[in-house]
Amino acid sequence: MSDDNASTVTVLTHQARRNRTSGRAGLWQLLLKDKVATVAAVVLAFIILTAIVGPFLFGELAQRQDLGARNKPPFSFDLGWEYILGSDSLGRSLLARIIAAAGTTLGVAACAVVVAAIVGSIWGMWAGFHRGWRESVSMRIADVIMSFPSLLLAVVILYVFNPSAANIVLVLAITRIPLYLRTARADAAELRSRMFVDAATNFGAKQGAIVFRHIVPNVLPTLVTLATLEFCYVMLAESSLSFLGIGIQPPDVSWGLMVAQGRQYLAEAWWQSVLPGLAIVITTVSANILAAWLRLATDPGQRWRLQTKKRRRLIGSIAPRR
Amino acid sequence: MKLSSPRRRGTRAAAVTAGIASIALLASCSVANSEPQGGDGGGGTDETLRVVLPQEPPTLEACDANLTSTGVVVRSTVTEPLVERNPSTGELEPLLATEWEQTGDTEWTFSVREGVTFQDGTPFDAEAAAYSIDRAVNGDLGCNVEGYIFGDDDLVVEATDATTLTVTTPAPDPILPLKLSFIEIVSPETSNTEFVREPIGTGPYAIGEWEAGTKLTLDRNDDYWGDAPEFAAVEYQWRSEGTVRAAMITSGEADIALGLSAEDGIGDLGVSYPNNETIALRFSGQTAPLDDIRIRQAINYAIDREEIVSSLFPDGDKVAAQLIPEGIVGFNSELEPWPFDVEKATSLVEEAKADGVPVDTQITMPVRTAQFPKVSELGEVLREQLAAIGLNVDLRMVDTTQHLQYQLSPFVTNEGPIAMLVQHGNQAGDAQFTVEQYMLTGAAQAEFGDPGLDELINEARNLTDEERQVAYEDVFAYERENVVALAPIAHQTVMLGLSDRVQYEPNSSTGDELRIKEVTLAG
Amino acid sequence: MWTYLRRRILQSALPLIAVVLGVFVLARLTGDPSKLYLPLNATDQMRADFAARNGFDKPIWEQMGDYFLGVLRLDFGESLRTGEPAADMALRAFPATLQLAAVTMVLAIIVAVVLGSWASLKPNGIADRIVSFFSMTAASVPDFWVAILGIWIFAITLGWLPTSGTSGPLVWILPIATLMLRPVGVLAQVVRGSMVTVMGQPYIKVARSRGAGEFHIVSKHALRNAAAPALTVAGDLAVGLVNGAVVVESIFGWPGIGKLMIDSILQRDFAVLQAAVLLTALAIFALNIVIDLGYALLDPRVRPTSGSRARRKGPGMISDTKAEELTNV
Repeated sequence: MSDDNASTVTVLTHQARRNRTSGRAGLWQLLLKDKVATVAAVVLAFIILTAIVGPFLFGELAQRQDLGARNKPPFSFDLGWEYILGSDSLGRSLLARIIAAAGTTLGVAACAVVVAAIVGSIWGMWAGFHRGWRESVSMRIADVIMSFPSLLLAVVILYVFNPSAANIVLVLAITRIPLYLRTARADAAELRSRMFVDAATNFGAKQGAIVFRHIVPNVLPTLVTLATLEFCYVMLAESSLSFLGIGIQPPDVSWGLMVAQGRQYLAEAWWQSVLPGLAIVITTVSANILAAWLRLATDPGQRWRLQTKKRRRLIGSIAPRR
Repeated sequence: MKLSSPRRRGTRAAAVTAGIASIALLASCSVANSEPQGGDGGGGTDETLRVVLPQEPPTLEACDANLTSTGVVVRSTVTEPLVERNPSTGELEPLLATEWEQTGDTEWTFSVREGVTFQDGTPFDAEAAAYSIDRAVNGDLGCNVEGYIFGDDDLVVEATDATTLTVTTPAPDPILPLKLSFIEIVSPETSNTEFVREPIGTGPYAIGEWEAGTKLTLDRNDDYWGDAPEFAAVEYQWRSEGTVRAAMITSGEADIALGLSAEDGIGDLGVSYPNNETIALRFSGQTAPLDDIRIRQAINYAIDREEIVSSLFPDGDKVAAQLIPEGIVGFNSELEPWPFDVEKATSLVEEAKADGVPVDTQITMPVRTAQFPKVSELGEVLREQLAAIGLNVDLRMVDTTQHLQYQLSPFVTNEGPIAMLVQHGNQAGDAQFTVEQYMLTGAAQAEFGDPGLDELINEARNLTDEERQVAYEDVFAYERENVVALAPIAHQTVMLGLSDRVQYEPNSSTGDELRIKEVTLAG
Repeated sequence: MWTYLRRRILQSALPLIAVVLGVFVLARLTGDPSKLYLPLNATDQMRADFAARNGFDKPIWEQMGDYFLGVLRLDFGESLRTGEPAADMALRAFPATLQLAAVTMVLAIIVAVVLGSWASLKPNGIADRIVSFFSMTAASVPDFWVAILGIWIFAITLGWLPTSGTSGPLVWILPIATLMLRPVGVLAQVVRGSMVTVMGQPYIKVARSRGAGEFHIVSKHALRNAAAPALTVAGDLAVGLVNGAVVVESIFGWPGIGKLMIDSILQRDFAVLQAAVLLTALAIFALNIVIDLGYALLDPRVRPTSGSRARRKGPGMISDTKAEELTNV
């Protein structure tokens, strides 16, 4: 029953759950089957590793100024190995700065996405499950937040309180909550109205159990995809804030700030803006590829697409039975 | 399963067609909030000068003309003052006044020019001049020029006859004519109870049309009393990005672009010139550790001005020893810039530390974002150089309004010691304006004072000519030796973009007033 | 339908008031604007006069009350910066942004639908990989960077397009291309995703076996069912456009409301900011209502007359009732 492709709803019986747990080791094998997703995963893992370890190793190098070595192009080895990617407008090694900035950028984006996703999803599922006034009020609050100019919120928060990475995370999280709220609510509301929830209630299952066992697993794939797309958006939003001068402030460094600062030097030192921008693109593209794969892999109803051989994956073919 | 019925198909097709048609309609319409252009987008007629500014003037009100974004359009182009300062020589030249002299301790008499009319046809006479001065200085409008130049003082103006004007000051004021060069004369029909966005003056160009948000057009005044200017019209636009302004010059979309820097890609079409602005760090001298003169001196020794100028601002900026550049009355040419001496700086800090001065207290350095090109780089360099001598500096990039909280009295007092980056432009050409803003105890931008310095400043105010020059030189020398309220860094230059089509020689006040009558066609 | 409309409009009134109140309070938290507007030497008396003239010395409740009374009289205050009525400035700037956003969104939807459908025909095929890669990259680049690069390449180096400004038809190309990138990238992926799901449904198979052509299937059956999640995302992107056109407007000198908002924030021009936010919020609420009506158009089950069932469907989920009913044909 668990891979009936006529319906994308998954009812997790006890049998299915046992099967699922024992099949988790198979996730790795599944990943290795898809070459593109593997590459993306490796790239992303490398970037995350850099973000965690990089600031410790390269933090100091990233701050070391050398006014005589300003705006050097990539491969300027005569000044030292660290100038392989060139130098910025104050003579600091671009390689070191990109590595050190990885930590800030990924940290801010990940925190903002996680906070927004958790708060928004829980709130949305609660609202969608209960319907009624809870749902209406939540939707109206979502409307209010969404028509609130996110820039105004950013400027105010950064001026009334001290500008800091934490406050930027706060702003970015708050403005993205409505998206998770609405998606989770819509899914939860629709699922709740299906027969299996009535069935479960009739069998005496408690509300909490229903939510966790039935609603969450079905809403999760959507939210995971959404969160990954949002990760990309938040990274770009952070760079837009830097462009307007109200994002991460010097002497802190982030990819977005580097792109924004480097834009004044596009004519003579394009690498200062292009290379951090490339880092953003590579990270988000890898994350997106991995998320698309994850969505299929974590949804038992869709996993068959990854397990079949390539030519069988075309539409219209009948799914193999387990 | 139903296939769609023919009727539904038809409706849908109609909807799609309507959709596409409306897009096409929208796109072919001109952009809302702007007028469609006559002529092709690139050239315009031979007689229109196209200027691109960094920002739109918030207003063209003549009595706010000392504000750069207003004055750059209005001053000496739409309106004119009685006298005008020549930026290169520093001398005052007659404009709407032909002669002037000091006829009493507190009285000056001006002879105004005959045969001049305002752009609305009203004749210009001493009465009109008196009206404008009264409106700007004595009125309740709260004109910017009033606060900037005159403070609380009121002037008594009287037109004794059609061509003679007497101005009486509350105290003897040897530089009154210089101050009057900031008052733009407007038509006596101008309201004196409200600000007027589009003033009527006597200048070579009258305001034609102002499409707020998009473009400002001035038309040649054919009744102008002086030499007819070359261009029939002037078009002002604004772009906030320097690279875009430079691009407009190189692609032929504009003739003059203000506020560029070398990295904007202007190439050979860029002209660098000194613009009267000086940058410096200003100390909050009442809060430890900045209340100890040794720390302030140490900071001065720690800044490598030569390196900063040669690497960050190589297009002509000069290392500064004082807050005014050469050419301003009171400039002390004997003052040498502070030498770069890290050892001396460190030892001063150590000495102070040994005496119990809390040198580890975090010093906040507010720097205004986008105040001038590479301002944030400068902030980071300064932070590094101060950290290198053992001080704990927190660089804070802030926006204009926040920066002003630190800059103007009442200052920020609850954040500990402040060493803020200020940019001071002396448009007036006399040290009095600088010194009485930044150094006199209690002045709007003076964080702390010194009684000895105050005495020198008060004496200098009433002197003239050579005595005045020497007195202000002493003021700067004294400040350097005994007060160290500031750490001057550099006298700045700024870059103008000029297309091949026009010819213009920029001077130090170009950014404050772009005199269109001085722009000619090339060749 | 009109009862529904009326109900939604009433429902939107309260959030609208909340938005304006929120902006009102937050703006005033940013500090005293007098130092920005008064001359450097202004005395304390002058500052007090300035505050009294603009009502800043009153407690915030009173200021709010005064403002709302003014709004009822259609008086939205005056700009501190220019002296003009704030409502005029906002109304003048808004259509420019609306034009930009509308054209961008329509073009983005068309391009995204075409690309997404094409990609979904053969999942993991070549077309799919190209479209996926392109759309992911398009959604990943910073907009101001693209804008400046675009000016650099197309206006300066190649000379094909004007750099900026508002004159002539060519001037639309760079701003729209810049603004369009992210919507196309995101929407193409969403369309592809839900089309893949829909195309796997049994009723598609049935239609194929009955001899319907591929294009007919895609456009008449699949797209309609896949449209719902795409509509949600498109709606959110459109809202983001109105807010986020700030960057593009600043760079290209487009006289729109995004630029007006950011300028008035930086200059603490409260009245203009409030007017601009009010106008934008009104537009966004109107857009949301239009989107809901769009859902109703697409899916008869969701029409307001059929009760209070879930109005917006999650991505790619077709209820099992439809599948059952169709397989029984």
